[in-house]
Amino acid sequence: MITCEEFLAEFGDYLENQVSPEIRKELELHVSQCRACQVLCDSSRKTVRLVTESCSFELPENVSDAIIDRVMEKLRKDPS
Amino acid sequence: MSFLGETQLEDDFGAFVAFREALGFVPNLLRAQALLPRLIEAQAKLEGAVRLSGGAISRLHKERILLSIAADREDAYCLAVDGKVTSSLGVPAGEIDAILEGSRCAGLSGAESASLEFCRKLARNAPSVDSEDIAALRAAGLDDSAVFEAVALSALAVYRCTLSAGLGPTPDFEHAHAPAKKNQPAERPYPSQTHGIHELMQRRVPPLPAPYLSPLAFAPFRIIQQTHGFIPNFFRGQSLRPDLLQAELEAVERILLPDDVLTRVQKECILLAVSAANLNSYCVAMHCNLLRGLGMSPEDGDQIAVDHHQSNLSEADTALLDFAVKLGTRASEFCREDVAKLQKLGFTAEQILECEVVTALNNFANTLQMGLGIEPDFEAPHVFEKNKVHLSAAGDTPNAGGGAVPLVDIVQDADAECVAKAQNGCLESFEELVRRHSRLIYRTLVAMLGNPADAQDAMQDTLLSAFKHIGAFEGRSKFSSWLVSIAKNCALQRLRRPKSMESLDEGDFDEEGDFRPRQVRAWQDDPEQFYSKAELQQIVERGILGLPPKYRMVVMLRDIQQLSIDEVAQQLGLSVPTVKTRLLRGRLMLRERLSPHFTTAVKGIAQ
Repeated sequence: MITCEEFLAEFGDYLENQVSPEIRKELELHVSQCRACQVLCDSSRKTVRLVTESCSFELPENVSDAIIDRVMEKLRKDPS
Repeated sequence: MSFLGETQLEDDFGAFVAFREALGFVPNLLRAQALLPRLIEAQAKLEGAVRLSGGAISRLHKERILLSIAADREDAYCLAVDGKVTSSLGVPAGEIDAILEGSRCAGLSGAESASLEFCRKLARNAPSVDSEDIAALRAAGLDDSAVFEAVALSALAVYRCTLSAGLGPTPDFEHAHAPAKKNQPAERPYPSQTHGIHELMQRRVPPLPAPYLSPLAFAPFRIIQQTHGFIPNFFRGQSLRPDLLQAELEAVERILLPDDVLTRVQKECILLAVSAANLNSYCVAMHCNLLRGLGMSPEDGDQIAVDHHQSNLSEADTALLDFAVKLGTRASEFCREDVAKLQKLGFTAEQILECEVVTALNNFANTLQMGLGIEPDFEAPHVFEKNKVHLSAAGDTPNAGGGAVPLVDIVQDADAECVAKAQNGCLESFEELVRRHSRLIYRTLVAMLGNPADAQDAMQDTLLSAFKHIGAFEGRSKFSSWLVSIAKNCALQRLRRPKSMESLDEGDFDEEGDFRPRQVRAWQDDPEQFYSKAELQQIVERGILGLPPKYRMVVMLRDIQQLSIDEVAQQLGLSVPTVKTRLLRGRLMLRERLSPHFTTAVKGIAQ
């Protein structure tokens, strides 16, 4: 069976679903035997999901408006 | 005098008699275990089955192999005793010197040279042994039985050397031969990360053929079935030598089953931690499973395997595992002070002795598993269903698969009409474009600059710069991508200012390797449900802002902005492999930062 280190070496591509079916099988075999890597895998996927769905770093509308207004005002005065 | 002192046992103690018959004397390595005679019996069982029985490899050659491994490990005790035994069997002094120097012995047959080299490699660095090594043995004429004996012998050598380092027994003989200084590093070189998994899969040690042995016909299998619930491949894989299996189980019974010195749980924890340090996934899985049977939660078991310092163990038990891991993996550094440390924490000599023997047994088992190519016990269930998680999989992004967007062509872009007007000087159209994409610009800037205030300042620069250069935009990429590259340039300019401490691309020396996941507590099934949307956002943002900039940048663009890896590479002017490395490390670092909020342990506390 592959070691945790070897699993980790492929883990990035695995998270991106970029591994071939036979490697995928090998990695999933490892994960089925190794709870630490199973937890790692599950929590990493949840991390990615939380980040993608968090709507993080939204600029508050009033701040955004203020910046854009300021820029537009500048450009209207001196469009060059 | 050994580290733990030596008590006297009667000379007619059964195991002593057996050794005297086989070797002509009782080695002090055994006398040093006299506090717990059952441990001496265990070693006698193993030595009897591995060293004295069998016959596919001659007794003399077995001694030669044991001596070579002792020499590789610079184990002064084993060198002296094995040198004496080897010479008593008639090996000339010149040949013993050659073994001690690690040079090739003249006059060995092809099979003998091959098995000697194989055993040395397996004992030195078990994970590095691969199918080519087995093929070399086969090519030299070793059959299944001989391969088995070679593996078992390496395992026994490791057992004895681990014990000798831990016990520090009084030498049985003066050194006939001073241990030669080796150029070899004492540290074991683990398999390099540069091997691709394809290569590793092809190179993996093939399982040694094992005839079917029915539990009905073989009593030890019935016992295993009772303790494990099934017969693990570790035992099935040794069915070629039922006598050795029997001896192993008798040794295990004497070392692991008694609960009166160290507890069963303590011993399983030792086996787990040392197997993990030896990179033996198979044995880690087995001991996690056994610990679960003893009432430990899966999370606690995993935590011990990954990093026992982060587990819930007491200070004393943590020290016990430190001790075992050091003995099991860095025997050459082990010394009397390590023993004294445990004694200070209140461990008795019996407990320390048992810990050392458990560690030795672990190394025996780890070596055996790797050498025999024992396969995992469970077929992988399909653990992860592709659609169960919201991961923007490569296949879903527009740049992968059939519908690839060639970047050199003019791309379809909903902004095109607006862009054309803006290029003709229409300020309203420009404003419209900016409002559409302000979020994207802002995120790029936060990612690069690491704080919202700087990002807001840089946003203004970006918009002005975009307007200034919009005439140069040719529609070869989406307008939004072009805006990102402008934002990136503005941020870089800020970062290059002397006051800025952060740099995106310096300090690449730590790019490879040393980041290891530490947190192994399982996360809740549905981590989102315990926090409000605003709280989640705050947790995520804080986590991301805490990442080193080069990782933050890649995580932001891939996971928040949801660009493809190729796009991220393009935007940042990095190679795809670099982006991949940074993305994984960034995600793993973020995972560690988020873990405290989402592990099962906080269930019920969170609002």
